[in-house]
Amino acid sequence: MADVTRLVVRDTPIDLLRDGRGAPLLYLHGAGAGGRWLTFQARLAERFDVLAPSHPGHGGSPAAEWIEHISDLAFHYLDLLDTLGLDRVHLLGASFGGWIAAELATMASHRLDSLVLIDPVGIKVEGWIYPFLFGVDPLQLVATIFHNPMAALALAPPDTSIDTLAMLYRQSTALARVEWNPYLYNPLLRRRLARITTPTLLCWGAHDRLAPLACAEAWRKEIPGAALRVFEESGHVPHLEEPEALAAAVIEFCAPRGRPR
Amino acid sequence: MKFYYFHLMPYPMEHDEPSSWVTLSNRHYDPVVGQRLYHEYLDQLETAERLGWDGICVNEHHQNCYGTMPSPNVMAAMLVRRTSRARIAILGNGLPLRENPLRIAEEIAMLDVVSGGRIVSGFVRGIGPEYYSTAVNPTHSRERFYEAAELILRAWTEPGPFPFDGRFYRYPFVNPWPRPLQQPHPPVWCPSQGSSETVEWAARRRFPYLMVFTPITRIAQIYGEYREACERNGYTASPYQLTVNLPICVAENDRKAEAIARQHALWVYHVGLRMLPGYWQPPGYTTEASLKRLLATRGKMPTELTYEDLEEGGYIISGSPATVRDKLRVFSDELKAGIVCSGMNGGSHEATLDMMRMFSEEVMPHFREDAAVDETVGVGR
Repeated sequence: MADVTRLVVRDTPIDLLRDGRGAPLLYLHGAGAGGRWLTFQARLAERFDVLAPSHPGHGGSPAAEWIEHISDLAFHYLDLLDTLGLDRVHLLGASFGGWIAAELATMASHRLDSLVLIDPVGIKVEGWIYPFLFGVDPLQLVATIFHNPMAALALAPPDTSIDTLAMLYRQSTALARVEWNPYLYNPLLRRRLARITTPTLLCWGAHDRLAPLACAEAWRKEIPGAALRVFEESGHVPHLEEPEALAAAVIEFCAPRGRPR
Repeated sequence: MKFYYFHLMPYPMEHDEPSSWVTLSNRHYDPVVGQRLYHEYLDQLETAERLGWDGICVNEHHQNCYGTMPSPNVMAAMLVRRTSRARIAILGNGLPLRENPLRIAEEIAMLDVVSGGRIVSGFVRGIGPEYYSTAVNPTHSRERFYEAAELILRAWTEPGPFPFDGRFYRYPFVNPWPRPLQQPHPPVWCPSQGSSETVEWAARRRFPYLMVFTPITRIAQIYGEYREACERNGYTASPYQLTVNLPICVAENDRKAEAIARQHALWVYHVGLRMLPGYWQPPGYTTEASLKRLLATRGKMPTELTYEDLEEGGYIISGSPATVRDKLRVFSDELKAGIVCSGMNGGSHEATLDMMRMFSEEVMPHFREDAAVDETVGVGR
């Protein structure tokens, strides 16, 4: 299990989970995964110095009212790199975290050795409207996100205490601030993806029902030279549904791309 | 005590869906039935004026069978020229739900001018599911509410044109024509469910506070907080700042009234307000502190309330005229509520009109010590 430290990034306090040795790899989690140290993170920590901050308002990180747009989060993570004195990192983001990672890459590809996006949301894809998941009951949520529903247990809340329910509300509030409308995308991002010069790997669950494979094709078209790996036994979260295979793919892609330091 | 006749204009239907809001398909709405209902409901509101009610109320709700008035100003416009004495209380316009709230300032001013100054303007945030139905970001709800209210009040009171540059609403020219007839502006009411932030905000401005579908113990608590807030702001609350929305069911005897209430008043709670738990409190609609208070009290969901809960909790009152008078005394004498907004449902249009007639003849006259008082003097502004 990784150590949790409290870090202040330009006045914004956050929790940072960190473990492993090697080149620094910044992992940006998806909705509901803040403060978690999961199997695939442990696998990555065998080869990388894995930094897993909880987004403000997620996990143990307090809410930050100044964050009202997805680009605020991208700037927040650029500030994090500066705070930690990291010139360059491998950047990995899943779902919502993938969206932040893509925004960051359009701003500062020169800070990235590699970019891995796991079933990211964040762009408008013709013919597809993301199913609205705020307010749905937990069973429907799991049915939409997971191909293997058992994998959802890794994200199950510890209990139903008032503090836990308040934490869940804080998380969904932090999400809603940046993604309620437009829902799950930034209309400006898609055109900007062409600015990404970092070697990019797209990892996608074959059975993703939130952002289906058609979305993967759109991302591949927009990011110059991006590669796509499909995970056949996964829905929206292959890092939870096929953690070993996903970690192996990330290591295979990122390890050779590190700069000597 | 002043009496306002309140209407939700429901589309009364039974269904097995998990929610009467947001996702209940509008294929269930039959416009031919809707036409009949609208006319009956408008007739009831017009009849209320003839029977002596002081005001008649409309309100705004979106995409549900609970209340079919997505635009309360449209309904108010229909009533303005068919009535001549009663106040028309719009409870209210959902300020944050509008992209252009200056339009509310304009519409209310139109209604106020045409009605000869009879409009009461409610300001509400809209309830949780309406943030799903309108796609307005619920994390902006509170801020948009305060900002839109400030804009509307300034639009009514400051000579235009002037610029307004808010976080959500920006106008180089605020200069609405017409201006309202009532000066400085129509009375503003705050229908709410008791969040401490809204209580303070309303009390500071002398805006009457309307408790909607709340148990009597909670009404007493919030009225207490409101009165304290008024004292803190240097004045004593008028009884007409303390208002309650209280469904009333009256019949020849208690047994008959109970039977009617069981059949028809329960519908509002068991069907009308049925919705997914996530719809009640969309993310950011409530502060984390308020949410924790709410969770700690673990109140029942509307669908879990039994008839006994509603009756004993004082959410509704029912009975013979004598019984209703006794129960109403609790509101007038103990809670010291100055205005009761009550809707009635006899089960059919004719039965509802009969119930209204009975109430106006056998209950209302017993609460008319203040008949000569204008409830809008010094409040709501």
